[in-house]
Amino acid sequence: MSAENRAQETRGQGDKETRRGTPTMSEANGTMNIATRDDVAAWLDGLSRDLTLIAPKAVEDRVLYRPVAGSAEIAFDFGKADLPAKEYFLPSTHVLFSVEKDKEGLRVEEPSLEEGRVLFGLRPCDARALRVLDALFLKEPVDPYYAERRERTTLIGLACREMGEECFCTSLGLAPDDASDVDLMLTEVGGGRQEEGKGYAVQVVTAKGEAILGNLRLREIAGALPEPAVREKTPVLEAEAWSRYFDHAFWARLADRCLSCRLCTYVCPTCRCFDVRDYETPNRGVERLQAWDSCMAENYRRIAGGHDPRPTKAQRLRNRFYCKFCYYPQDFGPIACVGCGRCIARCPVNVDVVEVLQNVATL
Amino acid sequence: MATDFEPQIVGFLCRWCSYPGADLAGTSRITYPPSLRVIRVPCSGRVDPLFVLKAFQDGADGVMVLGCHPGDCHYVEGNYYTRRRYALMHRLLEYVGLEQERLFVEWISAAEGRRFAETVTAFTAQVRELGPWGREGKDGREGREGREGRKEGGNGGGRRREVS
Amino acid sequence: MIDKIRAKARELLESGQVHCFIGYEEGTRGKVRPAFIYEPQDADRLIWDERCTYNLVTYLHQFQSAPNPRPGGVRETPPPVGILVKPCDSRSLNVLFHEEQVEREGVYVVGLTCQGVKVNGQPQARCQRCAERVPLVYDLVLGGVPKTVGREDYADVVKLEGLSPGERLAFWTKEFDRCIRCYACRQACPACYCFECVAEQLDPPWMGIAIDLPQKQFFHVMRAYHLAGRCSGCNACEEACPMGIPLSLLNRKIAREVEALFGYKAGQDAQTPPPLATFKKEEELSL
Repeated sequence: MSAENRAQETRGQGDKETRRGTPTMSEANGTMNIATRDDVAAWLDGLSRDLTLIAPKAVEDRVLYRPVAGSAEIAFDFGKADLPAKEYFLPSTHVLFSVEKDKEGLRVEEPSLEEGRVLFGLRPCDARALRVLDALFLKEPVDPYYAERRERTTLIGLACREMGEECFCTSLGLAPDDASDVDLMLTEVGGGRQEEGKGYAVQVVTAKGEAILGNLRLREIAGALPEPAVREKTPVLEAEAWSRYFDHAFWARLADRCLSCRLCTYVCPTCRCFDVRDYETPNRGVERLQAWDSCMAENYRRIAGGHDPRPTKAQRLRNRFYCKFCYYPQDFGPIACVGCGRCIARCPVNVDVVEVLQNVATL
Repeated sequence: MATDFEPQIVGFLCRWCSYPGADLAGTSRITYPPSLRVIRVPCSGRVDPLFVLKAFQDGADGVMVLGCHPGDCHYVEGNYYTRRRYALMHRLLEYVGLEQERLFVEWISAAEGRRFAETVTAFTAQVRELGPWGREGKDGREGREGREGRKEGGNGGGRRREVS
Repeated sequence: MIDKIRAKARELLESGQVHCFIGYEEGTRGKVRPAFIYEPQDADRLIWDERCTYNLVTYLHQFQSAPNPRPGGVRETPPPVGILVKPCDSRSLNVLFHEEQVEREGVYVVGLTCQGVKVNGQPQARCQRCAERVPLVYDLVLGGVPKTVGREDYADVVKLEGLSPGERLAFWTKEFDRCIRCYACRQACPACYCFECVAEQLDPPWMGIAIDLPQKQFFHVMRAYHLAGRCSGCNACEEACPMGIPLSLLNRKIAREVEALFGYKAGQDAQTPPPLATFKKEEELSL
């Protein structure tokens, strides 16, 4: 199957930017399919027997997507995971291949996923981020490691009831309940018609999602999916317009307080730069490692000979915004930002992408 | 506690005192366990505490830093700095969970061949008692599921040297 | 007090005594952020309240550290800056002066007395431990006479020391596991000013590029060791960390040992020889 077909398959239907899940089972006739939380938990437990289940888990005072042994470890009531699920598709460190030498000669080992995976609780912004990464990694030449992870992972989305403090997904054409990028979409519905505890409305978006639905108990009830609470939008300049402001003094002033700490790129669901290096293994073999890198690092763009086209913080910070809002859309299609707001929440010196967008719109 | 494993010990020996001391042990045919890997440095003051850290990361189960007796340093002051640095590093490593018995700093002169051998023998036995460091699950790598698709192959992950 | 700060900044900029004044300003979403005032009329952006937790001394690395000149070249003198410091920040400033990273004459220090700061409305534990309420170095000091003084008792460090090695290893493994090796702690730290950090050196490859537990352990222990006798306890590292790793537990352990072994506290002045750059011939240090 070519990369394009594969990408289409995981996309759902059509290419509209904001839409709910395909109304294969529900909305068309004003009904929803509801599963109770206990049933969802039991269903996930069943899935975890054959597949690796990755779900939001409480780790100290953070919530992170982690492999869990069962539904008991899942933090069902979470807002937004502190780190995106990107690491399960573009791991922070992984071995591309290793070459070992033994009596018979050289042996090349290419690690691959041992079993399929289910990612539960993916918010629409994080799901859209995968789509953004697809535009690069699934474009010819296809990154086989990424492609394998995408293909062997089924995405169960969890719609947001409201936009968070730092969220601005709607400014980028997303919606907090956008189901276009997952295989199954769950939406929390509370009270009223529930007999036992909390429940989720379940929408099937792709055939891949349908395939794992299995024996999840669903009840059809009348009603519509709740509308999420949204926030005011921020204007986002089109990609072509950004080139006007490249030399503006605004970037240097903004970068004064930047620490070049690279935190923003690591918590970002769409940032994807990586480094590849070879290391020796204890048995005198070689393994090739791929690890996250960051354009905010001081020596990121330094090349052999010592020349560095982006030696100053201002250039690097400007590049970060241009990469997301200008270069990536021009090269690959989508804007490389999904409005999750993690960089806003975590930047120690308040470099706020929403503020930057607002400023750029008025430069 | 595996008592049948052979510990890997890295020893930083200074060129003027402890290394000749080791030589003397050799020429006197005094035996000591072969698990010691010696790295000769000009002075124990050359031994950056980061070497010790790196040795542990790369698979050492124990590390020795052996220098001249204070007052006898060939470079006059080197081992005074060593003393301060390792007093601090020892306590820091202990604090993050590395048993203090795994790092051994001692002064051994060029004439103390027997003492060298005895020291190494005692230290090796001590480390053997403590067990391996950083391999079978001690560094928390067991069950680090986020790394699926990566064969462990006996390598905890830190033991690498850049090739390219 | 804010009027005095603004007035001083304005005066310094107008007279050309400084090229830039570094202070705090109102950010987005109720946050406070570092401000860089270049024009006298912008001095009104400066604010000062208990949300101003950030250690601004780290910015002197870029404003004051002139790049190394080419062989035979002359080292440029960087333009003078003005800076606002709290007592904890002033300790970091002393460290930079002491280590000759920043010229004393190149910095106009406006010191502020401080009764403690808050992060998200929470009073900071480090403020309760801070023994200084008046900055240790300043050209001008503003603020009232402080009423209370904190005391460092290292209670949480001692508690961790009391655990068994296995328990401590488990604790730190759990903490380091969460680390994403983003270096926010290092970048926020005023004492971390190396042009090329050991962690990023590829030749020789100290750590390598992997973001695995061994590398993270190495980085944090290495950084803590490099801060021995230099860490002022400003907590910028812990505040910057996106994963909430308790770095102060590590750095203060070293500070405690340095104090116990060598009787030295970081940043008290810019003259006392640092503990690891000196020695005593006769000293008993159990190894």
